[in-house]
Amino acid sequence: MGVFVFLPLVLPLTAWPIARLAEQHLHPRAATWLLSAVAGVFAVCSTLCLALLMVVGTAQLPGNPLPDGWSDPEVREAVPSDEVTGKAAIPALIAVLAACARVLWRHQRVRRRAERALAGLPATPVAVLPDESPYAYALPGTRGRVVVSTGMLAGLGSAERRALFAHERAHLAHRHHRFLLTVQLAARANPFLRPLRTAVVYTAERWADEEAAQAIGSRRTVALAVGRSALMSGGAPVATLAGFAAMGPVPRRVAALLGPAPAGRIWPPVFTTVGLAAWGAAVGTTASALSSANSAVTLVAILHATTSV
Amino acid sequence: MKDREHGRRRGQGELEVQVLAALREAPEPVSTGWVRERLGGTLAHTTVITILTRLLAKGAVTREKEGRTFVWTATADEAGLAALRMRRVLDGESDREAVLASFVTGLPPQDERMLRGLLERAGEAEE
Repeated sequence: MGVFVFLPLVLPLTAWPIARLAEQHLHPRAATWLLSAVAGVFAVCSTLCLALLMVVGTAQLPGNPLPDGWSDPEVREAVPSDEVTGKAAIPALIAVLAACARVLWRHQRVRRRAERALAGLPATPVAVLPDESPYAYALPGTRGRVVVSTGMLAGLGSAERRALFAHERAHLAHRHHRFLLTVQLAARANPFLRPLRTAVVYTAERWADEEAAQAIGSRRTVALAVGRSALMSGGAPVATLAGFAAMGPVPRRVAALLGPAPAGRIWPPVFTTVGLAAWGAAVGTTASALSSANSAVTLVAILHATTSV
Repeated sequence: MKDREHGRRRGQGELEVQVLAALREAPEPVSTGWVRERLGGTLAHTTVITILTRLLAKGAVTREKEGRTFVWTATADEAGLAALRMRRVLDGESDREAVLASFVTGLPPQDERMLRGLLERAGEAEE
């Protein structure tokens, strides 16, 4: 077990380069899949190791449910016996589980409240709401719906409206809310995974933009639709810290749409920056999975040995 | 217990729609009793008042004093009520972006300048 149990807690750092580069160099669909999968694996491994550390940590507490053989000197040798880490893992794990439960609960609540808000309207795929403030949302569910305000539609030409609907339909068709929820949970499980969440929030939008561009046959129209609606809803509260990134997500999306279409390849060539970053992330993910598996197996073996003595 | 709670709340959301629909059919400002009769008279008087008060809080109806009671007028239709309720969801949830992928997010001033530049250039390319 030893040091391996700590590795999955810090290995998410190996995914930082790819989080940055994938949004620029991979097709948004590939980037979303890759980054979400990497974030998911890292998060599960990190939480598993936290749980293992917690088991070790509870061994030092009086009245723990572990077998008596656990306190044998040989056993104590085999597991990390650092008291501070073991005890710190207990509140850390509780915090992680509570944060993840909160994310899931809020997710369900927003969906339920939004569905309830639309009760009484005919069950059409698109709900147009009379509201001057411009907004458009994809509301996931058994029958996904696009919710758009009259204020948003009023500011767009007919081609741009089609672009907007195509974008929202792409969100629903490819179940983007699942990717968003995955990275949301991963960012709660391990704070080192936050850059991946930011990246996936962006690549999912880019993915829907590209789908919309293909559906209506014009990247420029989608760019104009994104740009115009962003200018309309300007002044809305911004969740991220502005000023850090040279360019926020919306101008980057517009610039990407005005540029050439992204290449369709899934995995980048090895000997490029993005290739190396992708391989770095892949190696990190594998190492993380192997370390946590190794630690888990060791701990189970020790527990088995102590109970059978 | 939890299911019943959800059922009750969803029921109230549907009742709001029914009460509003009844009120919209009224030829003039009407009393709570009129609304209750219109809905078949199965609801308790207090329930109708509760729902009308909730609609008032959402801005979907107005009321005025007539003698010792209130008379009510609908100011929104079903879509309007849905819009008012949706606004409450959107305003109330700080991290709604995680659930409802929004078409665009907010725009800091610096981004706005860049975006205007990009759109101008896109417009020029067209001409």
